[in-house]
Amino acid sequence: MNKKTIWVVDDDAIYQTIINKLIQKSEAFSAHSSFTNGKEAIITLKKMLGNVNSLPDIILLDINMPVMDGWEFMEEIKMIKSKIDKHIIIYIVSSSIALEDKNKSKTFTDIVGYISKPVTIEDLVSIVSNQ
Amino acid sequence: MNTEKKLASFVNWFTFRPKTSGYLIFIILSFFIILISLQRFHMLKEDKQREMSIILNEIHENIDQSLKICQVSIVSLALTINDDGVSQNFDQVAKQLIESNNIISLVQLVPDGIIKNIYPMKGNEAALNLNILMTPYLEQLANKSMKTRAFYFDGPLKLKQGGIGVVCRLPVYKKNKFWGFSAAVIKLETLLKISQSNSFDKIKYDFQFSNINPLTHKEEFYLPTKIDSNTNNYVYKKIPNSDWQIYLIEKKPSDLYLIIFLRGLLGISIAIAFGFFTSKLLKNPEKLKVLLKDQETKLLKNEMKFKTIFDQATIGFAIIDACTSNFKEANNKYCQMLGYTFEEIKEKGIANITHPDDLEDSLLNLTNLEEGKVEEYSLEKRYITKSGKTIWVNVNVSPLWENYEKPTTYIAFIKDITQKKETQALVEKSQSQFKSLIDTIDGIVWEYNLETSSSTFISKKVENILGYTAEEYMSSPTFWEDHIYPEDREFVLRISTIVNKKYKNHDYEYRMITKNGRVIWIRDIVNFVYENGIPVTGRGIMIDITVMKEAQKDLNNSFHLVSEQNKRLLNFSYIVSHNLRSHTSNIESIISLIESAESEDERKEMLTLLKSVSNSLDETMIHLNEVVNINTNVDLITKPLDFRKYILKTQEVLKEQIQLNEASIIVDIPDNPIIEYNSAYLESILYNLTSNAIRYRHPQRKPILTIKLHKEKDINVFEVSDNGIGIDLKKNADKLFGMFKTFSNNADARGIGLFITKNQIEAMGGKITVESKPNIGTTFKIYTK
Repeated sequence: MNKKTIWVVDDDAIYQTIINKLIQKSEAFSAHSSFTNGKEAIITLKKMLGNVNSLPDIILLDINMPVMDGWEFMEEIKMIKSKIDKHIIIYIVSSSIALEDKNKSKTFTDIVGYISKPVTIEDLVSIVSNQ
Repeated sequence: MNTEKKLASFVNWFTFRPKTSGYLIFIILSFFIILISLQRFHMLKEDKQREMSIILNEIHENIDQSLKICQVSIVSLALTINDDGVSQNFDQVAKQLIESNNIISLVQLVPDGIIKNIYPMKGNEAALNLNILMTPYLEQLANKSMKTRAFYFDGPLKLKQGGIGVVCRLPVYKKNKFWGFSAAVIKLETLLKISQSNSFDKIKYDFQFSNINPLTHKEEFYLPTKIDSNTNNYVYKKIPNSDWQIYLIEKKPSDLYLIIFLRGLLGISIAIAFGFFTSKLLKNPEKLKVLLKDQETKLLKNEMKFKTIFDQATIGFAIIDACTSNFKEANNKYCQMLGYTFEEIKEKGIANITHPDDLEDSLLNLTNLEEGKVEEYSLEKRYITKSGKTIWVNVNVSPLWENYEKPTTYIAFIKDITQKKETQALVEKSQSQFKSLIDTIDGIVWEYNLETSSSTFISKKVENILGYTAEEYMSSPTFWEDHIYPEDREFVLRISTIVNKKYKNHDYEYRMITKNGRVIWIRDIVNFVYENGIPVTGRGIMIDITVMKEAQKDLNNSFHLVSEQNKRLLNFSYIVSHNLRSHTSNIESIISLIESAESEDERKEMLTLLKSVSNSLDETMIHLNEVVNINTNVDLITKPLDFRKYILKTQEVLKEQIQLNEASIIVDIPDNPIIEYNSAYLESILYNLTSNAIRYRHPQRKPILTIKLHKEKDINVFEVSDNGIGIDLKKNADKLFGMFKTFSNNADARGIGLFITKNQIEAMGGKITVESKPNIGTTFKIYTK
């Protein structure tokens, strides 16, 4: 099984530290990048458009973030989708348990699933294996 | 006496037979007229005949005279014959004769029947030596003449020498022995001319000349006029010494008949007229007699009819003596009504059967009638029946005497109207019930005539609802529209006009102004009433719904408030759940990592992380507490505050940041900047906005803040502006004042300041607005109320 590249977009520094630990422990990913908001992530993504290998396989996306939130990020993805040569799996990862957010996530076809925090190693493994 | 009687009966006979009489008169008159006409005719006819005879005689005279001349001539001629039977001086004598008598065309001597001497000879040679005795016709004539030995006129006959002539012959005897003839010829033409010389009226009469043919013994006519032997219109005369007859013929005998006929006709016409008029004249008495009989029958029938009507009528009749007020007659119905027999009524009298309360009125009316003040009267009154029941009747009383006469009797028509009265009372009762019912309806009932465009009814409730009386309402045709609240008037009148055209029942709400100037809400329910398919009346009810409207308004306000609070609460719960969960989920993760830690260092690292989560959780709890405090703070104490002092206080607290960032603050406020506000909130709001302005300063310039205070519509408004990085409001307007919403990667951003500020301002009953442009700056405006 090829190891995957994973991006984590979240403004919570503590969460980033934790997820970093979990990714290492799961040993399921070849590479891991962290972004504090959607804007940082999309800028990076746009830079990598020409380089298929460096594009992520999986993105874990938070909803509530400053500058650019999860939904805005998804809108941006929609716009550049045709230029992305790779199938990127996007999961929403949020502490919100509001039904509203869950339903909204379903309106984006590119969103594969919705994971409520906390994220466990098992979650990460199943994301990879379900692919 | 007897004769007179006979005469009378005779006259009567004719009088009652007008047709026969007329006919008789006609026949008698006609008979006399015909008789007279006939006599007249005969008289006229005789006159005519006489007149004609005279004329004919004259003609006869003329001819006779001519012939006599002729006779004299031939005698003269005969005298020329000597004893030897030879004519001497014939030519000389003949010449003389012809010259003196121009009627004679020629003379001749005929010895032994042979024509020997002719004068004039010229033109008459053919006759010379003609033996007339050898010609059978002439012979007979000559013989005739010889027998009579007198003159004889022969002809008219065809002359041998030509032409028609009359020959006058005289047989001449010498010594008693026939010698021959002396003859003269007169041309017929000449003869006729002479005969008619005495001119008679040729228009009226015609002349005819005839001779009896000696051979055939038939009459021959020589003129074209025809004689109708059947009619009596001619006269004739024989000429002596000849077979000649002369005639005078009336040309137009019918004239006489026509005159007589016309006269007769006139007479007959007069007779017809006489007969007709007589019969007509005689008919009149007969007609009169028939009429009389007819009238008699009619009268009898009428009497019976009236009697029947009187007795069987469905209304009561009574004939009352005017002087004594006693009943003279009353019909069955009247008796029935009262339950008495006629005898009983008669005995009782009017006064006793009339209800005591109505007696005075009845008597007054009767007096008026008797004095001639009124011609008749009608009255509704009560009677008391035999059984003691009171009945209502309508009495109609008319006098049976003429104006100038003394009062005799009067007739009364009485109709039982008890039931009608009862019904009327019932109707009145139900009407008043209806009316009071309408007045109890908690709304103004109104009615409007569509044809005349005017109000016809308004219920009393108008006084309770609008304060105006019904009279005041009805006094002005535009009262209703004049009292509609001005803002609503236009739409109300528009709708009213539309529905009044379409006759559509409708129901609408609008405001009106009451007498004391209060604005009330009216719900007007309009219906149209149709008569024969045509809408004639608009009817409706105006209900005061002010209380309801106000309740609705309150309800709306409450609803708005509740939904606002609900929204805030939802937002809050969302935030709480999100923020708390983000911490708890972190804690959960850290704990699981600690449990599965492979080394002591790793566990220590996780514990440090846990500590920072704990701090952050604590901070969140403080913020949440703060928010909850604002939202639960129902009774906020406000007092007049010096705005300037609070600016200074804020500058003092933020002194370090201001100095560090070299920020400058421009204060633009009035001299006496007092505002009514909650002290803690004002301090908090100013702190948050000022610190935000410094925190989100533009990296390329020193922060400049402006704090202003002014009034907008009596409300104190203060502004905090900066020249910072600004916010893209297009993207973030809805999140700006949200909890835990941050828009930059500024490490200090907590996303709670503006949330708290907004809540505090709204808790004070005011509002906050924002204007911002990225890279230019932001202005927050706070309305204190």
